[in-house]
Amino acid sequence: MGSVGKDIAHDSAVGHVSGESIYIDDMAFAKNELIVDFYASPVANGKIVSIDLTRASNVPGIVGLYTHKDIEGHNKFGPIIADEYLLAEEKVEFIGQPIVVIAGETRKAVLAARKVIDVKIDVLEPTLTIDQSIARKQYLAEPRFIKRGDVDAGFAEADHILEGRFISGGQDHFYLEGQAAIVYPGEYDNLVVHSSTQHPSEVQEVIAHVLGLQQNQVVCITKRMGGGFGGKECQATHPACMASLVAHKTKRPARIVYNKDDDMSFTGGRHPFQNDYKVGFTKDGVITALKTDLYTNGGAANDLSTAVLGRAMTHADNAYFIANAHINGYACKTNLPPNTAFRGFGGPQGVVNIENIMEEIALFLGKDPFDVRSANCYGIEERNTTPYGQIVYNNLLPALLKKVAETSDYKNRLEAVKKFNQTSKTHLKGISITPVKFGISFTTKFLNQANAMVLIYKDGTVLVSTGATEMGQGANTKIRQLVADEFAIDPNMVIMAPTATDKNNNTSATAASAATDLNGSAAVDACVKIRQRLAECAANYLSSDGAGISPSPSHIVFADGNVFDKRRPDKKLTFAEIVSAAYHERINLGERGFYATPGIDFNWKTGVGQPFLYYTQGAACSEVLIDRFTGELKVVRADLWMDIGKSINPGIDRGQITGAYIQGMGWVTTEELRRSEDGVLLSHSPTTYKIPNVQDMPRVFNVDLFDNDKNDVNIKGSKAVGEPPFLLAISVWTAVKQAIASVSKEAAQKLKLPATNEEIIMCMATSKKSALASAKQTKA
Amino acid sequence: MLLGCWQRYHIYAFARWLNFKPMRDYIVLYINGKECRVAGADAFLPLSSYLRYVQSATGTKVVCEEGDCGACTVLSGAVSGDEIAYRPINACIQNVYQLDLRHVITIEGLKVDGELNCVQKSMVQNQGAQCGFCTPGIVVAMCSLFDKKCESKTPATEEEIRDALTGNLCRCTGYEPIIRAGLETNTEEAIALRALYPSRQIIESIGKHKGDAPLVQYEERIFFGPQSISEAVEFKAKHAGTTIIQGGTDVCVQMNKRGFDPKVIMSLNNVSGLNELNVEDGILRVGGRATLAQLEEKVTQLIPEFADILWVFGSPQIKNAGTLAGNIVNASPIADTIPFLYVMDAEFELTGSKGVRKVKADSFYKGYKKLDLQSDEIVTQVNIPLPKKSSTLKLYKVSKRKNLDISTFTAAVVMERENDQIRSARIAYGGVAEVVLRLPKTEEFLAGKKFTEETFVAAGKIARGEIRPISDVRGEADFRLILAETILEKFFHECNEEQAAWAR
Ligand SMILES: Cc1cc2nc3c(=O)[nH]c(=O)nc-3n(C[C@H](O)[C@H](O)[C@H](O)COP(=O)(O)OP(=O)(O)OC[C@H]3O[C@@H](n4cnc5c(N)ncnc54)[C@H](O)[C@@H]3O)c2cc1C
Ligand code: FES
Ligand code: FES
Repeated sequence: MGSVGKDIAHDSAVGHVSGESIYIDDMAFAKNELIVDFYASPVANGKIVSIDLTRASNVPGIVGLYTHKDIEGHNKFGPIIADEYLLAEEKVEFIGQPIVVIAGETRKAVLAARKVIDVKIDVLEPTLTIDQSIARKQYLAEPRFIKRGDVDAGFAEADHILEGRFISGGQDHFYLEGQAAIVYPGEYDNLVVHSSTQHPSEVQEVIAHVLGLQQNQVVCITKRMGGGFGGKECQATHPACMASLVAHKTKRPARIVYNKDDDMSFTGGRHPFQNDYKVGFTKDGVITALKTDLYTNGGAANDLSTAVLGRAMTHADNAYFIANAHINGYACKTNLPPNTAFRGFGGPQGVVNIENIMEEIALFLGKDPFDVRSANCYGIEERNTTPYGQIVYNNLLPALLKKVAETSDYKNRLEAVKKFNQTSKTHLKGISITPVKFGISFTTKFLNQANAMVLIYKDGTVLVSTGATEMGQGANTKIRQLVADEFAIDPNMVIMAPTATDKNNNTSATAASAATDLNGSAAVDACVKIRQRLAECAANYLSSDGAGISPSPSHIVFADGNVFDKRRPDKKLTFAEIVSAAYHERINLGERGFYATPGIDFNWKTGVGQPFLYYTQGAACSEVLIDRFTGELKVVRADLWMDIGKSINPGIDRGQITGAYIQGMGWVTTEELRRSEDGVLLSHSPTTYKIPNVQDMPRVFNVDLFDNDKNDVNIKGSKAVGEPPFLLAISVWTAVKQAIASVSKEAAQKLKLPATNEEIIMCMATSKKSALASAKQTKA
Repeated sequence: MLLGCWQRYHIYAFARWLNFKPMRDYIVLYINGKECRVAGADAFLPLSSYLRYVQSATGTKVVCEEGDCGACTVLSGAVSGDEIAYRPINACIQNVYQLDLRHVITIEGLKVDGELNCVQKSMVQNQGAQCGFCTPGIVVAMCSLFDKKCESKTPATEEEIRDALTGNLCRCTGYEPIIRAGLETNTEEAIALRALYPSRQIIESIGKHKGDAPLVQYEERIFFGPQSISEAVEFKAKHAGTTIIQGGTDVCVQMNKRGFDPKVIMSLNNVSGLNELNVEDGILRVGGRATLAQLEEKVTQLIPEFADILWVFGSPQIKNAGTLAGNIVNASPIADTIPFLYVMDAEFELTGSKGVRKVKADSFYKGYKKLDLQSDEIVTQVNIPLPKKSSTLKLYKVSKRKNLDISTFTAAVVMERENDQIRSARIAYGGVAEVVLRLPKTEEFLAGKKFTEETFVAAGKIARGEIRPISDVRGEADFRLILAETILEKFFHECNEEQAAWAR
């Protein structure tokens, strides 16, 4: 029996629970190591007039102060568009933009220097909101569109048309370990960089670019991250570059670790969106046409904004067939820190838009939103093509909706909720089901590749390295299982090496939920090649000594840690024995594997393509309880169903589902990024930025995996799971909307995301009055 | 050196004055069973920095440096009788000097004979750790819960596990796997911390240092750990700028985040007697260094409404360190105990060089962080009259997140009523002005009115007029005005619902 499909402990679990796992800042200090920090722009928009470093350089213990002038390579870079500066030159465009890199003997010295660096800036009016950016025509890139059918005809066909605007807020990743890197200088200007990054290759590449080195002079190593969630896909690069600059200049090891406040204030997060929509639908609630404009607040540089926007657009349909659709996307340039990848990568923002529309349609028609959703859901044989032309194969959405409605006892509970709202003077309830369909693959084709290296040592133990980085999601554990199964050995015989660019070159970020899909497939590719060689060796070995059979590799079986010939099953070699034999036969016991996702592509010029290998699907039912007077909100029960194919590790996948749902719940409820008028982030630490606490977990929390053994396009029939369940939490927001709707339809229509207690109360309070006012108007 | 020679002279003069008492110029603490004498700069470090960078014990993680995430959770053991009682605290907001004569257990010290303990094993089996950065803190907090389970060997309930972990954020797991790990922890295997670290040895060793008060100095900083109130008052009188750092849950956050850098520091941790709580003549008397955790335990039966507020106050870690006196003297307009103390007519006993004086809660606050407290005075006791049987007490704490969040708005209402006639009401609001306010006009309005919804709607309008809230990160002024108005309606409905429940 193999280990794939089993709930095997995370490969770092023992280290984690005993505090022995090592993160960047846990690494022992080298004797002459320097502490690195930076002076960040205190203003969101301005022109740099002067930089005076005299006082700072006199601070005892300060070893180096560097501005853009000290950069020998290129100061400008960016993952899609090269529009970011490592160190500001003439202007500053967001609060937190690095201007001066500080290197000192002690943290104290560095902090003291940071205080006395004197940068004079001519402050300009910042652009902070999407409206301001639209008014000033500030965009990061050309608009994009996806178009299908004829929306005008669709609107003509409609019984009703609704128009509205939907606003969703940003979110901080709140990974627990802040951005961090340590850089060790070597001979010939070479650098070894330890970085808490999801993308070691990008860190390597940008460091080389900035310092004017060749890529083969920089090695980036990532043992693990204390959480990533997308926040360390691009934005781990800057700290690593700053430390590299110091190490390069001083030839001393250099360490940079962002504290929480700086990390939250200076790095980007989830993209806020503002979406306008016009939807036409029949009297039964079936959508005939949708036109929607998605505007996203990308911040001061593109980072991944255009790709995030792209995913929002390809998810603007979510689970629903929309015959006539016109989806436009605009990436707004503002003076916020560049927003970046965050679990879901625009998907949630696209999906919540259409889910809000479902609610609006139901509210308008006085129908159960579940029925509206079911009526619009993608079909199995027909009505199953997305607006960008990809067919939803293997569509489980109708089945998932049915399942979750059944197991959550939705209909009965909906009735109970209605009754409750009629009687309770102090509280409101809401219950809602939303589905999710999440496309798996990077929407940029060339990123869908991976390589892996598998090394077998003489004792039969295996070391694997891939481009996948471990941030807690369990990619390493799953790959370990896949590799162990290829050789039919115990997973404990396999160790996952730290991700490093000197073993795996030109890797893609660990992102898009696809780390195991891509890197696992590459690792298996390597294993298959080695196994073939081992089988040949075993065939010879096992047919010798008068066994009376001729050598036949195809008869060799790897099972339960042994190797044998099917025709002589009694004669077994242990895996270690065959490895040792192969070594002595001078057989190569190491291999590189490679994988490129087949058959995907997308054309943004036409807005059509086949961007995804498959879809991960799910559905959730959430019930909320709200205090009418304080807005306090509790998710009292959640029922989640996810189709993740044949899970490689159900324990780990379950953890992704619970974690993503709760993180999503934070996004739609308590997590609010508040800024001052000047753009200063006010909620920059857990004191004021409230991610879900253990007490916020639903008291009833049912998580189930939906049986599906048909996903044969992916490794072992599994499906990616990291991001999709995040979107299940949208059901919490729609439940809040329904709870409020039971008091005032108008209030419900105003509700923004996140639905904080304040948002809830203010919606209800301001609507009571305006409802009265409009009632008066109609009478008059 | 900010602290002039003359001041240093005073310190030594003071030491000489206390000549009959020996002094130590170092802090003694025990870490995972080993004695550490800490002098000089290290004594002034946050415990988390001391552990990570001086002791190279990097299992204790640091994320927020302000008590809000629990990644730095360690156990602090204080001698109580012939045992050591361990409680989880946040190492990022405890400076080393606050831990004089304490035994600290960190994640490194929790294995049993080199093997994972029952909590750790269950965390591994239940996928309770993903990225692992919160995990040491979670394990420490959970071990504290199972330490209490050693005798009964009963499994922990979900509620107990949640309550034990309120102070620990996890961004990865969604908590569910962690709770499952708690539920499936094998209590049969649970080993008491006092078995892991035999108390007697440590207590004996602590005993050797107990007689000496620590007076530790580094550059311009001085720490003194008096053993009696008189010593403390004497010291404070001599050094006008002395900062008491008790739980440190306010002061240490200011030090870590706002550049506050007190030079002369005193902790009352070793002052005996000051941590007692008792009830006499219908009055709850709370000692000047009694923690909020002690208070919560005490009032669970006595004043359940107050216990409910203390349940959502901070986290176990915060309450194990933080004190009622600290909450009072820190004088935040959103301090959660103050509205309650106002409406209960609590009084504070202040001990200074001239003796003890008593001040009523609602006349203690003179303006934003301005107090009726002399520079030599210490809050030595808080006297809280217990609510009368006939009165209705309700307390409100509105915050963005229910648990472990600083309030946006707070309220306390005590009402006396005869059938449907309101006799009197005392109302206090927090988060609506520079100090917590009583609402005299609203109170006056309510006296004698009918107990009806209309009355409370009208009262809400008056209440709204009595306050002038501001907008800040925790909420807009308008939101606070609405809360101030409608919370009285909520009060009415809650009283009514209870009545209905009684009738059933
Ligand atoms: C994460 C976190 C969560 C929190 N949550 C809450 C919450 O929910 N509600 C809330 O109200 N507060 C909260 N607080 C604030 C804080 O915990 C409380 O105010 C606590 O009561 C302070 O007590 P302490 O002993 O830690 O005070 P310290 O920080 O030691 O001292 C506070 C002030 O009181 C003075 N002081 C202390 N003891 C005495 C004494 N005996 N005599 C004279 N002066 C004295 C100190 O000199 C200082 O000025 C929170 C703090 C943190 C870090
Ligand atoms: S580091 Fe967050 S509580 Fe100490
Ligand atoms: S496991 Fe990552 S924060 Fe808890």
